[in-house]
Amino acid sequence: MILSSDEEDDCDYKPNLHRSYTKKPKSRPFITRTNPRQPKKPRVSGSRSRSSRDSPSLFEVGFPEEDFEELFSGSKVSAGTPWLWFSVRRLLLSSILARVGSGTSNLNELWVDKYKPHSLEELAVHKKKVEEVKSWFEERLKTTKGNLINNVVVINGKAGVGKSTTVHVIASHFGARLCEWNTPTPTIWQEHVHNTNTGIQYTSKLDEFVNFIEKIRKYGLIPSSSFEDAKPSIILLIDDLPMTNGRVAFERLQSCLLHLVRSTQLPTAILVSDYDETDSTDHTAQRLEQLRLSLENAGACKVSFNPITINSIKKTLSRICRQEKCSVTDEQLDLIAKACGGDIRHAITSLQLFCVKPDLVLNGSFSTPSYSYGKEDDIDALVRGISLLFGRDETLSLFHALGKFLHNKRETEVANAITPGDAFLVRDNFSRLSLKMDAPEKILCQAHGQARPVTDFLHENVLDFISDEAMDDAWHVSSYLSDSDLLLSSFRGMLARYNEAENVLQSAAASVAVRGVLYGNSHPSPPRWHAIRKPKLWQVEKSMLHKQKEIVRQRFIAYNGSSSSNVSDVATEYMPVLKWLECRASGFEDNQALVYCNKTHDESCNRMSLDDRESDDDEIEEW
Amino acid sequence: MASSSHGSNYDIPWVEKYRPSKVADIVGNPDAVSRLQVIARDGNMPNLILAGPPGTGKTTSILALAHELLGPNSKEAVLELNASDDRGIDVVRNKIKMFAQKKVTLPPGQHKIVILDEADSMTSGAQQALRRTMEIYSNSTRFALACNTSSKIIEPIQSRCAIVRFSRLSDQEILGRLMVVVGAEQVPYVPEGLEAIIFTADGDMRQALNNLQATYSGFHFVNQENVFKVCDQPHPLHVKNMVRQVLEGKFDEACSGLKHLYDLGYSPTDIITTLFRIIKNYDMAEYLKLEFMKETGFAHMRICDGVGSYLQLCGLLAKFALARDTARAA
Repeated sequence: MILSSDEEDDCDYKPNLHRSYTKKPKSRPFITRTNPRQPKKPRVSGSRSRSSRDSPSLFEVGFPEEDFEELFSGSKVSAGTPWLWFSVRRLLLSSILARVGSGTSNLNELWVDKYKPHSLEELAVHKKKVEEVKSWFEERLKTTKGNLINNVVVINGKAGVGKSTTVHVIASHFGARLCEWNTPTPTIWQEHVHNTNTGIQYTSKLDEFVNFIEKIRKYGLIPSSSFEDAKPSIILLIDDLPMTNGRVAFERLQSCLLHLVRSTQLPTAILVSDYDETDSTDHTAQRLEQLRLSLENAGACKVSFNPITINSIKKTLSRICRQEKCSVTDEQLDLIAKACGGDIRHAITSLQLFCVKPDLVLNGSFSTPSYSYGKEDDIDALVRGISLLFGRDETLSLFHALGKFLHNKRETEVANAITPGDAFLVRDNFSRLSLKMDAPEKILCQAHGQARPVTDFLHENVLDFISDEAMDDAWHVSSYLSDSDLLLSSFRGMLARYNEAENVLQSAAASVAVRGVLYGNSHPSPPRWHAIRKPKLWQVEKSMLHKQKEIVRQRFIAYNGSSSSNVSDVATEYMPVLKWLECRASGFEDNQALVYCNKTHDESCNRMSLDDRESDDDEIEEW
Repeated sequence: MASSSHGSNYDIPWVEKYRPSKVADIVGNPDAVSRLQVIARDGNMPNLILAGPPGTGKTTSILALAHELLGPNSKEAVLELNASDDRGIDVVRNKIKMFAQKKVTLPPGQHKIVILDEADSMTSGAQQALRRTMEIYSNSTRFALACNTSSKIIEPIQSRCAIVRFSRLSDQEILGRLMVVVGAEQVPYVPEGLEAIIFTADGDMRQALNNLQATYSGFHFVNQENVFKVCDQPHPLHVKNMVRQVLEGKFDEACSGLKHLYDLGYSPTDIITTLFRIIKNYDMAEYLKLEFMKETGFAHMRICDGVGSYLQLCGLLAKFALARDTARAA
């Protein structure tokens, strides 16, 4: 069956018309709201390995290639229902025709789609995690409904670690049907005007999402046919949470999902993408985190996916290389895998770009045939070429530059050719041998280094590279680094805003830091291998911020989002009381204890509550 | 007007007039460009993020790529949005989605292309809205994003794209292109004039062409003098002389040179920006270079704080002299 969402503009839902292709906006699914009997909101996309034997009520248009199934997921015909819905999309049809015409679909596809894993073995995700999710679903799918309390799993992880792919593969492994919520197209203004004229109410997308969840929660998915016997099990997947703007909308989303967690009968997976700390100013990231925590509190099972290891990325990449028959050396694969920072989707995309072999520069810096292992310069060029071109991880090229600065390679003899004409003789203790590298500014520019991280990294690592006896060197270096820190002070907190070359202050600071290290380190320790560490310079500030957020969040959840007071109040009064109570009430049942301590806390901080109200109003925008 | 040959094109900026329409013509970044060239020939462009400083050819490469790839269909099959267009969530969802759904008959291996220029200025909400669209329509539509810093693109989108980094153009690369334009427009010039233009451009091709055109339409002759008049920057030669005089120990002369510049009406910020660039490229002892840069940085900071007086500049020269005296061999 097709429960098609309002995904496409030319989807049409006229129960008795077979193939109505009208593009009138009024035929958009808002109609469904007027007819409560029709559960049309969700779009069921069949999980792709399901074949028609699983569901006799369905016949699928058979196409040889698997991805066609996906394309047709929107156009499966449901026989035997009172409602026959065709939602053939013009676009899909045309693209299918184009494919059939051309006969080859390979050319058209992104490798990411082409090499999507189809079995559990192919997944690059860590086996343990897959097993965890798999056994969770197995439990839910085997047992009869209603026995288990929690039917929701929240999967979180960074972008591109294979969250949704895992769910897809597991669903197909169990032969379960995957019912996905896809974000609907928003209403266009003209459409809205048209709708109001015809008396159709505008509903926000959040409303639609909430309605969808409500229906799923209350009725489950209404099976399309009366042939119940071979009904495949269903997995609900919520990948794309609707955008919320402002606190009210967010709370609605939150409570809706909480209801889902508490009472759904279907095994459900909610995917939440993690973000780096860098955009902590962004409220969406904060909110998602909050949402995840409150879902866990409500009893959802939590699985977090780690970034994919370099080895498994490499394995996948070399498999793709074999199938594509493109020759990429092991070193290159290694670099691509390292540069992607655990994001396999990005690694594959990079590989696709990398395998575009430019014929013109075959003799260029990183051509494979002329590549020889011995020469350091060749490797340098290779590393630089790749890391400049690819990679989400900007730090890789940065590391390279840092290595140069820290190792501080210099000529061994005084170059006599220092033009004697305008020679300006420098005192011995101020003079240095000439550098065995390009100008530091050029290296920085090539490494796309920003002043702040460069300074921090240098500060963290430089002591390892200074010989143990050279105390004077250490103070030289530190004083220059502190100077550069002062130059940067006005930029704190706006790290990524400026491009490195745009601003005199930034580039002056970077130059001072780098040249200070180069100049100051006149007695480098004998070359040996050092790992370059991440800077710990601002760790205290960062962890303080993190703790503050944590405290606010805990309080926020305890009060169901009703109040948030001064952080220091929470830290000095609320937390100690809570801890104290925990000790005393350890014999109680958890629930009681929680209620109890909430109550006591209410009493104990009546004094504060007035402030809370006030600050509440102020902080509405905050949340 | 010397001739009527440029009469019809007079109102087109040279930046637009000489914007390369083929990927092969793009100057600089040979690795990136050669790859794009192959994509232009073979099709199946992956989703791309082009990141790099302004004026290095990001937008030009995408536009050229799109045109070369799609040929006559490019009018229909390319959607270009930049920061001046409204790009809130709604636009992203509606316009891009409707474009993605639009049917355009294309030969196999070709896709519709959505070009989002200056993508780092999009709100993260709008970028979120883009994320899903990218995936759903990947079999018919590809995305190319241009931005200055790739870290301002949200991670889910970075994850879906291959990142191509552009770096600043070298002086030779800019010079090569300038010569082409100079030849085509029959601009009278002296080599020092072009050198000056390259200096003012600082690796930014767009700026170089603009300066060239401005100088030409203002004075009809490109020499050093005119370029710095038009670009209204302190003449680097003066500044260079100042630095040299300090190094030679002629402090009084350096000061009078500074006074001269200041009296010409240049603001301390202008002077110090030029000074910094001169020092960066000046050949001097490592210690001196480091000290000079440090002091310039501090002076710039003071000037940014509002103390932009002549006194600060003099003090800066004095500090240079001090550093020089400390370091000089007895």
